[in-house]
Amino acid sequence: MKYSYIKPRTKTPFTQEVQLAVAFFSITIIMLVSTYLFLLYKDYNFQKEKNHILAKQVELKEEIVDMKQKIAFIQKQEALGEKIYTQNNVLKDSIENLFDLVPQRITLSEAKLLKNGLILYGITPNKDVYNFMLQAPLRSIFQETYSSFYPAKNGWLHFVSTNYMKDDFTEEVENED
Amino acid sequence: MLGKIFESIYVKVFVNIVVKRFSTLVYIETDGKKGVQRSAEEEFETLELDEKMHDFITAFTKESPYHYISVLDMSYSQGAVPTCVKKRMPYYTDVEDAEFRCHNNEWAYYTARENLATIKKNYAAIGVDYIFSPFSVLSYFFKDKIDGKLAMYILVQESFLSLAIFENSQLLYAHHLDMMSKDDFDGIHLEDDGNEADPLLAEDGAIDLDEIAIEDEEEAAGELEDFANIEDLDAIEEIDEFSENKDIEEELMESTDTLEEADDTQFNEDYQRFTLIQGSVGEFYKDPRYESRFVENVYVADAVGVTKEFKKYLEEEMFFNVYVRRADLALELCELAKKETGI
Repeated sequence: MKYSYIKPRTKTPFTQEVQLAVAFFSITIIMLVSTYLFLLYKDYNFQKEKNHILAKQVELKEEIVDMKQKIAFIQKQEALGEKIYTQNNVLKDSIENLFDLVPQRITLSEAKLLKNGLILYGITPNKDVYNFMLQAPLRSIFQETYSSFYPAKNGWLHFVSTNYMKDDFTEEVENED
Repeated sequence: MLGKIFESIYVKVFVNIVVKRFSTLVYIETDGKKGVQRSAEEEFETLELDEKMHDFITAFTKESPYHYISVLDMSYSQGAVPTCVKKRMPYYTDVEDAEFRCHNNEWAYYTARENLATIKKNYAAIGVDYIFSPFSVLSYFFKDKIDGKLAMYILVQESFLSLAIFENSQLLYAHHLDMMSKDDFDGIHLEDDGNEADPLLAEDGAIDLDEIAIEDEEEAAGELEDFANIEDLDAIEEIDEFSENKDIEEELMESTDTLEEADDTQFNEDYQRFTLIQGSVGEFYKDPRYESRFVENVYVADAVGVTKEFKKYLEEEMFFNVYVRRADLALELCELAKKETGI
């Protein structure tokens, strides 16, 4: 039943004071939640970044191991190269020395360098020239020297000089190198 | 649902404002789950909302968001009509710019929209939730009586009289009378031929209280004779029939001790009230718009403290059986507000 001419104003428990308090608490809660969410996001981001860095660290470690292996291999290669270079130099010096040994009157047609020996093919005017001018220095180097001759068409002699070092002597020389 | 929970947590504060002739009465009641928790009443020497009244009211209203401010409509341009049918309302009153409220689909009370706007404006600082008509207060106050036999019910306020005639809860006639209004006071001369000057009214239309006093003294002797005549009439059988219609129960409940002894001012006012009632009853009997029925019992809701003479006048001059109940308007307003709120 209606007795009044007018309807009462809408009543709400949210008075201005309550609204103010609710607004204050709401803003505070929103700020706290947003901070919490921000920190969660940051934490997630840091974790993600950390995992990424850890993965990268593992990868880099693997790469370092690989590179170390490569460096070791290259160092070995370098050592080998240097060794070969040195050997080549030694060989070159040996060949130069060899050719220095050969006198003007003897002509070499072929030379075979063996690990522990040297075979020379050539032509000499006579045996004496060969014996005195070539065989004598060869004997001073090699322990065993064998020579064989056969005549050439022009009256000179073809020769084959086979020279060997003894094995223990060869090893001794290598060790000295 | 949430609103109901909050509503049950908070107390309800009912602020009831009754504007009197020279002051404003504010009655505040705080209701909790266990009924009335606190009540306070203060009268302010102002007719409008001043700072003191504002502070007094807000001290209570700030306790709960569920506060209801009720104001009794004291305006002149209001009344009640014995119909709820809008088409029939213009037959009784000017319906333009009036706000109607139907009561039990039987009768309606109304007031000018301007009055509602004025009340809202006057109390804009605190707001208004309910504006009650004196007729709804009257019908609620006599809710145990108006569903009975034909009787007249009068709400006596300092400046107004709200008069209604009910039979079986149906309003037959209603009139809101302003004691300060010249128009209403002129109404006492319904039976006059209209040409004769009113001996009670001065040239400017004001009531000459001295004249009333003198007239009273002059008439005292005659009245005594009338009393004798009335006593004689009581002996007549027909008059005895009236006494059968007396409300014995109400008579027993009524204590004449509560009625004030008359001083000059009160007597003048009560006489004025009597003449207004007399004029209004005369209008009811004469006006063809209303079904003319003989009124025997008169129930008075006395909010000002009427004198014994007032009752005596009604009983002896108009042959009514008069029953006076003291009414605290602010309390009644509070009850209406509670009813309206659903408590």
